[in-house]
Amino acid sequence: MTLVETNPAVGEEDRPVNLWRDAWHRLKRNKLAIFGLGIVVLLAFVAIFGPYLTPHDFLSQDLQARNQAPSLAHLFGTDDLGRDVFSRVVYGTRTAFLVAIVVTAIALLIGTTLGAVAGFFGDPYDRVIMWLTDMTMSVPNLLLVVVINASLKTPIARWMETQYMATLNPFYRETIWIDFFLVFGSMAMISWPPYARLVRAQVLSIRSRPYITAAMALGLSNRIIMMRYVVPNALGPLIVSVSAGLGTAMVLESAFSFLGVGVNPPTPSWGNMISDGLRVWQHHPHLLAAPAAVLGLASVAFSFLGDGLNDALNPRGTK
Amino acid sequence: MTAQDTKERLLDVKGLTVEIDGRRGPAVVVDGIDLHVTKGETLGVVGESGCGKSLTMLSLMRLLPNKIKVTSGSADFDGQDLQKMSARALRKVRGGEIGFVFQDPMTSLNPVMRVGDQICEPLLYHRGMSRQDARKRAVELLRLVGIPGPEERLNAYPHELSGGMRQRVMIAIGLACDPKLLIADEPTTALDVTIQAQIVDLVKQLRSKLGMSVVWITHDLALIAGLADRVVVLYAGTVVEDAPVDALFANPSHPYTRGLLASIPTLSDAPAARLSSIGGTPPEPGRRPPGCPFAPRCPLAMDICRRDVPKLEPISSEGSHRAACFAVQKALKAA
Repeated sequence: MTLVETNPAVGEEDRPVNLWRDAWHRLKRNKLAIFGLGIVVLLAFVAIFGPYLTPHDFLSQDLQARNQAPSLAHLFGTDDLGRDVFSRVVYGTRTAFLVAIVVTAIALLIGTTLGAVAGFFGDPYDRVIMWLTDMTMSVPNLLLVVVINASLKTPIARWMETQYMATLNPFYRETIWIDFFLVFGSMAMISWPPYARLVRAQVLSIRSRPYITAAMALGLSNRIIMMRYVVPNALGPLIVSVSAGLGTAMVLESAFSFLGVGVNPPTPSWGNMISDGLRVWQHHPHLLAAPAAVLGLASVAFSFLGDGLNDALNPRGTK
Repeated sequence: MTAQDTKERLLDVKGLTVEIDGRRGPAVVVDGIDLHVTKGETLGVVGESGCGKSLTMLSLMRLLPNKIKVTSGSADFDGQDLQKMSARALRKVRGGEIGFVFQDPMTSLNPVMRVGDQICEPLLYHRGMSRQDARKRAVELLRLVGIPGPEERLNAYPHELSGGMRQRVMIAIGLACDPKLLIADEPTTALDVTIQAQIVDLVKQLRSKLGMSVVWITHDLALIAGLADRVVVLYAGTVVEDAPVDALFANPSHPYTRGLLASIPTLSDAPAARLSSIGGTPPEPGRRPPGCPFAPRCPLAMDICRRDVPKLEPISSEGSHRAACFAVQKALKAA
């Protein structure tokens, strides 16, 4: 305060409305959040540039060097087919991010749209949408995913096969798309309800706040009110939940892979690596430890970041 | 009423009726209110909580929540009917020509926006100012409403300011575009008495400096005595008395107004005397009695009061003092 008084900085004065810059200043002071952010950025970097970073191909097998303990040549050792575990974990990061981002994006899109419609227009939309939400949430997640996988996988594979026979388009030969389609689809199907509820609650509560009426009394257009009054006030909780949701989606994908309904081998995913490692962990603990540690780290990093963002985006929070 | 009279009127509300769509069907909250504000005048609107003061003002600007609707009446502002105006034209009037100051400074500012930006908002929107000009004007406004160190306060968030400061910010926002009319809805209710006095002084000063009209909604008659030129007393969504401020305090006519005035404690009261009050509570909307809405609580109630609704009629020779009461009108005829 005194600083500003002695120096009525001109630069301060014409700086634009910037919630984000202020939030960034607050975020920087939060060590855990910065730690989380660092890990997330590192993982994202690894996910993007993975293929250039790995010393070995994630698929190439070296049957002479199976189940080796970590060494300089193989940082995380090798698995039962002599594949480099480090390369597989790196490639698994890619899978994890792909799944997390795509699933969260789809879930967010569905959830935000339904939640905003429910909150803004009220009954009867509200009632129907909330029924749908409650219904989805009442079905056990894993059960739903297993059912979707079991019931859709074969028909889709068969359809792809006939398409291939008819067109000879190699695209229909890539069964990996079925995996991704089913995994993304079914995970998004179970992930959207929390977003819908959150957005609905936010819109409901913000819509009736006095500052919205005050903004209307200033003659501001609905668009400006939405963009500068409703959205920024609703965004904090949503960003936090997205950040946590990304971590959850990674864990969820691993859980599905672990159960054999996720991404299928040979595509590496942390989940199917954990699943494979678990069978031999007494003899080769590194096969379990490496992917599990990375998964844990990613999950923790996303939660720290989410918490930090929550504090940073709320100007009333303690400093 | 002469043509001259009407011409001077900045705001002229006629027969404004507002209904709330409740569970038990529609209920009338504001029942055919007539009121007007002339140029440069300060109108005090007083009444108990729940008598429709705030709703009347919100309905003028069509800011009512979903289930509350204006069902009839007109509100001419500067020759245009606010009720019939297009949404686009109305947005120009809101904030541009009519400034609003809301009741609760704690919740009426956007918590995630710096106060400087909130003051700039109407300037950017209505005056088409550049951001830099708007910020200069915002500094001027903050100085005008008596906030020390305005340059640095621009960058404060609402939660960093005290209640009195926030209320001043609200007033600054209301005044930003030099409105012709400032509607202040109990702007001092949430503040302590010293701040209240400062804000009242401020509005008086600004009014004489800027020549605007003010509508000041309150339930505090003592405050109105020092501020308003004319007072309208509302009860259960109707105007029961309308008088120049001196006439109202010298000669309160409607039994409700008298009751309100009697309930102000004074220093000359005996120390242990019970505070005077009006027995009962205002009727709920939708459960208003036939006849005069005040009849069930009125010491002067006659048979006719429970049957017919009294009209607002002049009770002074020049016609500026009006009251809606059969007893008063009867006494006047007898005299």
